[in-house]
Formats: sequence, C-alpha cells, structure tokens
Amino acid sequence: MKWPATGTMLRILAPLLGGVALGVVLWATESRDRLYAAASPALVAVLAGLFGTAAVAVAGLARHRAAAAAVAAAATARDEAVRQVADEAARDRLRFFMRLDHELKNPLTAIRAGLANIEQTGGLALATAGTVAALASVSVQADRIARLVADLRKLADLETQEIEMAPVDLTGLLDEVAEAVGEIPAARERIIRVSVPRAPWPLPMVEGDRDLLFIAVQNLVSNAVKFSAPGDTVEVRASEDGDALLLEVADTGAGIPADEIGQVWQELARGRAARSLPGTGIGLALVRVIVVRHGGQVAIRSRDGQGTLVSIRLPVPDRARIAPDVAGLRHDRDTPGIPAV
Amino acid sequence: MGGPDVRPVVILADDDEAITSNLAPFLDRAGFTVHVASDGETALELVERLDPDGCVLDVLMPGPDGREVLRRLRRGGRWLPVVLLTQVGESAERAIALDEGADDYLNKPFDPYELLARLRAVLRRARPGRRPLSASPTLRAGDLRMDRISRRAWLRDTELVLTPKAMLLLDYLLTHPDELMTRDRLLEVLWGFDFPVGTRAVDNRIAELRRALGDDPARPGWITTVPGQGYRFVARVDDAR
Repeated sequence: MKWPATGTMLRILAPLLGGVALGVVLWATESRDRLYAAASPALVAVLAGLFGTAAVAVAGLARHRAAAAAVAAAATARDEAVRQVADEAARDRLRFFMRLDHELKNPLTAIRAGLANIEQTGGLALATAGTVAALASVSVQADRIARLVADLRKLADLETQEIEMAPVDLTGLLDEVAEAVGEIPAARERIIRVSVPRAPWPLPMVEGDRDLLFIAVQNLVSNAVKFSAPGDTVEVRASEDGDALLLEVADTGAGIPADEIGQVWQELARGRAARSLPGTGIGLALVRVIVVRHGGQVAIRSRDGQGTLVSIRLPVPDRARIAPDVAGLRHDRDTPGIPAV
Repeated sequence: MGGPDVRPVVILADDDEAITSNLAPFLDRAGFTVHVASDGETALELVERLDPDGCVLDVLMPGPDGREVLRRLRRGGRWLPVVLLTQVGESAERAIALDEGADDYLNKPFDPYELLARLRAVLRRARPGRRPLSASPTLRAGDLRMDRISRRAWLRDTELVLTPKAMLLLDYLLTHPDELMTRDRLLEVLWGFDFPVGTRAVDNRIAELRRALGDDPARPGWITTVPGQGYRFVARVDDAR
C-alpha cells in the first residue's frame, strides 16, 4: 500500500488501528464462526487494510477540517486574506479527497476480489449461516465505504470540472424528477405536488448542464421525502423572479434543529435525525456545488418539527426570456388545477 | 487465442499485492492463465516473453505506469487487448485516450465479475495482429464516419452536430460494437462515475444520437434498444483507412 510522504505516523498507526478493528470484528463474531474468520488470512488482511485505512482517513479528515477551520477563522479580519485562505483550503481539500480516494480504492478492490474468491471456491456453500451473514455484511460495508469515497471524489471533481452549458427546460426536468422520486417506496406515502407556471407564459429556459441540475433537484426532493413521514406534503415550486428562476422544495416533515442548520451545506454533515437513515451526508453539499457552478444561490429555512424549505435561484440569460419584463410581478403562489404527482 | 479449450494467457499488472493476490486466483479459476507483474517494466518483459492474449494494467505503478506501458506496447506495434484499471472519476474520454488506445477500462474499486466480463469482451473482439478499433484514429460504420482525434463525425457528406457528451457516447459505441451496453455502463462513460442522474440521462443522449443519425428506434440501423437492459451498436465498424 502506498502512503503519502508525510505519512510516518499513519504508517505506524494503520496496522495498530487495523488490529484493533479486527479485534472488534472477531469479538463481535459469533464464537462458532470465530475460527473460520481467524483462519481466513485473506479476510483478515483485507479487513485490517480496510479498517486501518478508513480509521487513518477519518482521523486525517477530522484533523484536516479542524485545521482548515482554524486557519479560516483567524483570517476574517481582511477580505483578501480570507479569500486566499479559502482558495488554499479548497485546493487542500481537493488534494485531500484525491489522496483519500487513492488510498481507499485499492483496499476496497482487494476486499471485493477476496469476497469473490470465497464465493468462487464454494466457500459459501460450506459456511454456516452466521458466516454467510458476516460475509454479506463485509460486502455491504465495503460498498458503503466505496460509495462514501466516490461521493467525496465527485464533489471534488464537480468543483473543477468544466460544465457543459446548454439551454435546459426546467418544466420537463421537474416532471422527470417527480417520476424518479416517485419510484422511492416512501414517496407513495407522501403527497407530492409539482407546481410550474404555464400562464401567462411558461418558465424561461436556464443555461446549464441538464444532468447536473437533475441531480441537484432530485437530491432536494428525495431529501424532503426522506425527512418526512407518511401523510406529509412535499411541494416543488418553480417561478420566475426578476432575472432569475426560483425553485423551491418544501416539506411538512421533521425540520432541522436550529443548532444544525448552519452546517447542512457542508460535506459529511449528518444531522441527528439522519443518523438512523442511510446516506453519506453528501447530498446538500453536492446541490450547493452544482448550483454555485451554475452561477446560482442556495438557501434553506427550517422549523424544527414543522418542515423545511430549500430554495435555488438560477440566473436566466437575457435571450432565454421570451416573455416581457415582469419585474415586480410574483409567481410564487400555488396554482390550483396543476396536476399533483 | 487458440481453440475453445485453450486457456487465454493474460498479464495482470498492479503494484498492490493485496490486489494481485486476490484477483489472480479469481481470474485463474475463471479460465485464464494469469501472470502477475508488480511494475511496468516487468509487465513489458512478460508481454515480450509470453506474447499473451490480453493485459490488465493498473494506471498507477512504479517505473513506467500503466499508460506508459500501453503507449510503449502500441508504439511497438503490439495490438493485444488491454483493460486499464483507472482512478475513480475518470470518464471514458480520459481513460481511453486515443494515443494510448486501451480497449476498455474499469474504475477502482470495481466488481471482479465486471472485470471478468470486460476481459472476455475485449478478447472476443480482438483482431489478432491488427490494430483495435479503440486505437484507430478514424472509424467507419456504413455511411457514418468519425474522426476520433478532432471529435467530428459525418453521415454521408453531412457533418453531425452533437453535444460533447453525445459525441463521447458515439465514440464509445463505435469502439465497442455489438456489445450490450447497460445504462449504468454508459452513465459511467459519460460521467466517470455512478452519478444518480437517472437513466433518462443516457436515454436522452441516445435519442440525440438517433435523431442525428436518422435512426428509427422501431427499425434501427445503428443503435438497438435491449429492453430492460440497455443499448447495442449493431452496425459493422471498421478502420476508415
């Protein structure tokens, strides 16, 4: 395994942490399966590699974030200094994500290959039910780490990747999002309404990458479904507002506690309510990056226990506005008669 | 490759022993004779000595890395099928750069069964002693011609106007003809990783290609829909020169 040049401490810590993690795994394994787990060097090695690397990476992430935050806080006195620090922190973070991604991808590949070997040799047919369950769990957890790392990498990539700009029709996109979200089982127990003005003129086109805008809106709507209960309402509203297009996703769900609302746009931010739910804590950070890369803004309002409203404001290019100037006119009231989805 | 009873010989080059010690036996049991190289020089030596049927190269290796090994192989006129093991986030555009001419690529951490499928596909597609489509600068399929270096395509004498992503998709389909492409696979080609953009993202680009090619989905001449699975480029593809 390759380590960064500065990784002496990491090198010392990794096997230790891996060993501790393995100890925990063995301790948590049912006694009749322990012998099997202990006697499988490949499994032991990949587990040690996985947990060791993950532990080091998480420790590094915490340290890195703390350092970046400290640097940023100390520099608030001068705008220029702040900008420089922010740029530096962003570059640092990008480099860090890439290193993290690199350090985790090999152990994860090895784990998957190790599991495939066990399956291929008929190991599963001979194994006890407990062992099969343990192996299935290793597989699921490896996938989970892979997803987390891939998500962080996506975020880093999106900050620098060139965006393919083309006119995007948000009306069609919202219908597609509603359809996609409707496939989530929980969505069937929510009242989902999409409201898009068609009169006196349709929504203007925005400039952007349709796939990325889809991801942003889909994330918001699935979040609204995820953090609400059966019978709750989710509303998706689009309107023209001056020279911008305003998109709102509102729900009557659990809301976000006041002490957590400041962190929701940060990567890996997972509120207390989210801890029992699957997810990597990357969704809103992804939404923010996508919207900002499109020259837009994001905002969130929430009341604990009452619900949440996330709004996205996207610039509308002059030539896309086929309607007369509508400054002062507001379109954000729901229009009766729009079919509910 | 010899008859069906002959085991194809492949070189597996990766500097991480945890990978090779798990993947080599897996590929071996799947019917390949595997030789492991832990760096680029060794990979080149093994190709020289064994004249293998295919090669799996990690991009990050000490000495000449995977891309450099591939460049040297191609420069030396060795056209054996190569699968590159790449970094997460690399789109096909970056992963199968034309000057390198890889036959396919996989982002780590990949599913070993996926590697097996890709390896079998590139071996099946291999044209012994001839340059693979993925290393050809110009391709032709019926009336369709593509200059892969300038990223331009013509249908008869009319140049196709395509978005960059649709052009990337066309390039990938042309270099992987007659292969079932799942939507997930094509998403990875377009985005470099499994973005939850919805399967429509792929369908929209395919629709764009079909419109440009004048292909009727009901009676397709180029791209067929494989219901519930994905798409397949069905026209015969050749080097244009």
